[in-house]
Amino acid sequence: MKISINWIKDYVDLSGIEIDELVKRFNLSTAEIEGVEVKGADVQNVVFGKVLKVENHPESNHLHILKVDVGDEVVQIVCGAPNVYEGMVTAVCKVGGQVCAGKIKATKLVGVDSCGMCCAEAELGIGSDDDGIMDIKEDVQIGADIKSVWPVDDVVLEIDNKSLTNRPDLWGHYGLAREFAVIFDRELKKMPLDDLKAYDKLPEIPIQIETENCFRYSSVSVDNITAKKSPREMAIRLNYAGMRDINLLADLTNYVMLDVGLPMHAFDNKIVDGINVIESDGEIQMTTLEGEEHRPPKGAVLISDKNKEPVAIAGVKGGLKSGISDDTNSVLFEAAVFDSTAIRKSARTIGLITDASQRYEKSLDPEMTPIALARILKLLKDIDSGVKVTSRLSDCYKKKYDKKTIEFDPKFIGKIVGEDISKEFIVKTLKALEFGVKEKGERLEVEVPTFRATKDVSIKEDLVEEVARLYGYDNIKPAPLAFDAAPQNLIKSIEYEYDTKLMLAEKYNANEIHSHIWNFEDFNKSHKIDTKSYVSLLDSSNAGQSGIRSELLPTLIRCLDENKNNYDSVRVFEIGRVVSGLDDENICDEHKKLAILFASQKKTEFELFTELKTAIVDIAKNLMGIDVELDKGDTVPYLHPVNSFRVKSRTADYGYMGVIHPEVKKATDKRFNVVGLEIDFDKLANTVAYARKIKSVSKYQAVEIDYNVVCDKTLIYSELQKKLSKFKSKIMLGYSLVDIYQNEQTLGDKKSVTLRFTLCSQDHTLSGEEIEKFRADFVEYITRNGLEIRG
Amino acid sequence: MELNEIYEVEKKFDAEIEAVAALAELETIRVKYLGKKGYITDIMSKFREVPADQKKEFGQKVNALKNKIENKIEETKLALEQKAIEAEINSTEMFDYSLPVDTETGSLNPRTIIQKQVVDIFKNMGFVVEDGNEVETDYNNFESVNVPKSHPARDTQDTFWLSNGQLLKTQTSAAQNRILRTYGPVCKVIFPGRVFRNEQLDARHENTFFQLEGVVVGKNITVANLIYFEKAMLKALFKKDIEVRLRPGFFPFTEPSYEMDAKCPFCGGRGCQTCGGSGWIELCPCGMIHPNVLKMAGIDPDEYNGFAFGLGFDRLVMIRTNLDDIRHLNSNNLKVMSQFKTKM
Repeated sequence: MKISINWIKDYVDLSGIEIDELVKRFNLSTAEIEGVEVKGADVQNVVFGKVLKVENHPESNHLHILKVDVGDEVVQIVCGAPNVYEGMVTAVCKVGGQVCAGKIKATKLVGVDSCGMCCAEAELGIGSDDDGIMDIKEDVQIGADIKSVWPVDDVVLEIDNKSLTNRPDLWGHYGLAREFAVIFDRELKKMPLDDLKAYDKLPEIPIQIETENCFRYSSVSVDNITAKKSPREMAIRLNYAGMRDINLLADLTNYVMLDVGLPMHAFDNKIVDGINVIESDGEIQMTTLEGEEHRPPKGAVLISDKNKEPVAIAGVKGGLKSGISDDTNSVLFEAAVFDSTAIRKSARTIGLITDASQRYEKSLDPEMTPIALARILKLLKDIDSGVKVTSRLSDCYKKKYDKKTIEFDPKFIGKIVGEDISKEFIVKTLKALEFGVKEKGERLEVEVPTFRATKDVSIKEDLVEEVARLYGYDNIKPAPLAFDAAPQNLIKSIEYEYDTKLMLAEKYNANEIHSHIWNFEDFNKSHKIDTKSYVSLLDSSNAGQSGIRSELLPTLIRCLDENKNNYDSVRVFEIGRVVSGLDDENICDEHKKLAILFASQKKTEFELFTELKTAIVDIAKNLMGIDVELDKGDTVPYLHPVNSFRVKSRTADYGYMGVIHPEVKKATDKRFNVVGLEIDFDKLANTVAYARKIKSVSKYQAVEIDYNVVCDKTLIYSELQKKLSKFKSKIMLGYSLVDIYQNEQTLGDKKSVTLRFTLCSQDHTLSGEEIEKFRADFVEYITRNGLEIRG
Repeated sequence: MELNEIYEVEKKFDAEIEAVAALAELETIRVKYLGKKGYITDIMSKFREVPADQKKEFGQKVNALKNKIENKIEETKLALEQKAIEAEINSTEMFDYSLPVDTETGSLNPRTIIQKQVVDIFKNMGFVVEDGNEVETDYNNFESVNVPKSHPARDTQDTFWLSNGQLLKTQTSAAQNRILRTYGPVCKVIFPGRVFRNEQLDARHENTFFQLEGVVVGKNITVANLIYFEKAMLKALFKKDIEVRLRPGFFPFTEPSYEMDAKCPFCGGRGCQTCGGSGWIELCPCGMIHPNVLKMAGIDPDEYNGFAFGLGFDRLVMIRTNLDDIRHLNSNNLKVMSQFKTKM
């Protein structure tokens, strides 16, 4: 929102305060100022001039050669404005002067000397009209600087609207002036108002409210309005505040909105002579002032005339039919307060967010309606002395806010702030902010002013804020917290998360990605990834996807797909959340998962598979102290039916890993071999770790013996281990896998598994006999178990 | 046997040792002179034939020759070894020490890197680190943190509502109630997390982003404590003293509420691109926890109070990395994302 300092100065004397200081204090005490614009600085030496003579330019069909009286001389100006005429009074920038676009020099235009420039409003920054040069009807002195008559010089502050969300009282200049008055300890002047009591004897406008969503509707009607255009000062202020001047009545309602903070509306009294506030049935069509068709949603508040013909979308926009035009001379002014949520809903549904609806969203104070009417009448009568008020204040006050009082110990404020804040300061500050303050012994009873009571201030903590912000946060001395040496609880699944990521990045050269939580349905379908989504978004327009994912690995396949043309190897992982289903109470069953995908154009599926298995076994074992292994079992349909396995420990099943299904591979990129893993990360991290113990090391020499054990090709290693598990020898420390050899010609449907046995004793060097005995025993065991030893 | 013979052997040895060029030849010479069947043994075997009066001189001469040969061989061996090493060195080709090396490693999302740094700071300050769900209930996300039923944040325009009546959490505060119940009434907890807003995407807006939120609850906690704490935290984060300012803010879950601005650490407040010329960076919404929030978490606001603060990770990441488009952080664009590596 833009505020004019000239306007503020109507209500509070800010003399002697630099703009920088004004901005700084307002920032710290009230709301954020996002920008400061010095208006009029680029308008210099612009005077009122009278066009004496208009001649066509001999070389141009749109330029004119003017003789203009600028007070001290008559200058020749070449001008392109179509609206120029002899006798016109306009704004002239003299040679050496300046307008928004830059400095004005004496020059030649198509061969003719031009000494100055006739200006349009827009060129001076004081209006939006740039169709032609200014046609000034006011009684002005030719040659006088426009700044000596019009308030062109001003400072405009742009306030961040978001920081005013909770302050309905700050959506008008008067409320803002109150803040400045309190901040700088100056007096807040009274707002000039008309005396509404004077019209008590006049007839009443019939007003009915047939909705819960209108707090109050007040109205006054006026006849015999002859002035059509706003005074220049008002027009400039409206423009500086970011609005356009249109015509007197429209400008007045806008001006009062920016002044008092309450949106107003003017209906043509010939069309609207009574008010019914109703709710839309969802069918009614309305044409707004701009000529746009809207169908307000069911329940939206509408203003209708006595015959229930809708004439405005309440709090949002007026209707075209009842709108004022240039020849309206009789109006009915509306000052009303509607429910904030109702207005927000209708504005958003229709898609019309207006200056009015923005203000109503903030919960405006219903006590303001007569003030706004008294203000608009005062302004109108000052401008157009012939107007005639034709109704009394007609007022339907349906819903009132309760009076809010807060009783508290003023020491509470200092206690929360951490500063010694005196009772005197508290009382003075609250009074300046127009809170009613009564001293009750040591305690205070504070009555919240109505303009702060709609939602903003209701508890003593709110008063802490009021006092503290004016005490000045920069006056608070930072103080350390009390010391507390208690050790803090570490949560394993959180601690391990970073370590796991770092291990995958640094040891397994994988890249972490953060993908959206959506289920990418189209992608999954086109890539033959069969995955569910248990819950969907009600509004998916911004997400682009409607469902929430139940699995993480498909997102990584999508990542591969998006990078397949830039790399021959893609290694990615993510720790993210999925919804695996809904429980009995329809609440999402959410899990934190780890997914890893390795893809390569060079490595075989088995090589990638082994790398991936290494990674997960490594993480589980060396980071978390958990032994995981793979086991046969169902996985997911988009993994290979043969080469995908469950990832388990002795106590739990964490998820699955494997090669992607040939169909998915084909749909993604045949060049890439791809393996993937998805496990429940919390479950893994929370598994009880084994105790790490050091084995005692023998000081005697160990002996290593290799055996090539021949078995069926289909016998997997863990089965072979099982077969060997009953073999016992006191001197055997263990064995490890060295190599697996397959050759159909020599071995047929068998394979040769090279195992390396380590023999050692804790208390002596092994003798030849001992080793020989081991050999004999082992060979005997092998043959007895249907295996053989080769070479 | 004559002494002459000894001189002959010596002469022969002198000539042969002089001619040696390789270690292998030296060994041959050693065997030839000092071996079991070598000259010295041969001479010694003739000792008996030497007349008695010459025996002494003969013995001395033979011993002297033997010592000489041994020494000379050892000396020559060392010289040859030395030569061999020199030859090896001289024949060595120099490496191309300028060749590039492969330090390729994977990468972390920059949020993960920053989060680690920030979380470590809070751990050092004695905070518990917590976590929270991404799908939340209306109660946790709004009601329990004092967001009234009619608050605009609840509109579908701002919140991703789900078909089962739940929502994607719009703020890390959604975990506040549970955390206060678990750890309160005296606690220091932070809970980083991913949050969602139903917004249109552009270079500065994402519908999915990361925040960190923290609460400190105890007895007699003040705004002065909050300011001290924020300064300490920002000092650790930016590794220098940071001037901060509090401005009034408005959040339903705190009262009073503040925006904490940090004097721009990059330009020192003179105004630069990072701070948009204002000299200040809006970093940390914060405030004293609203009594209703404490009440709803079963904590008596007359006895305990505290403060809460937020920190936008994505903003920090953008500041630290010069990333120009926030959407990269949620993207699959490995060309950008793989540049971050694992440290910052």
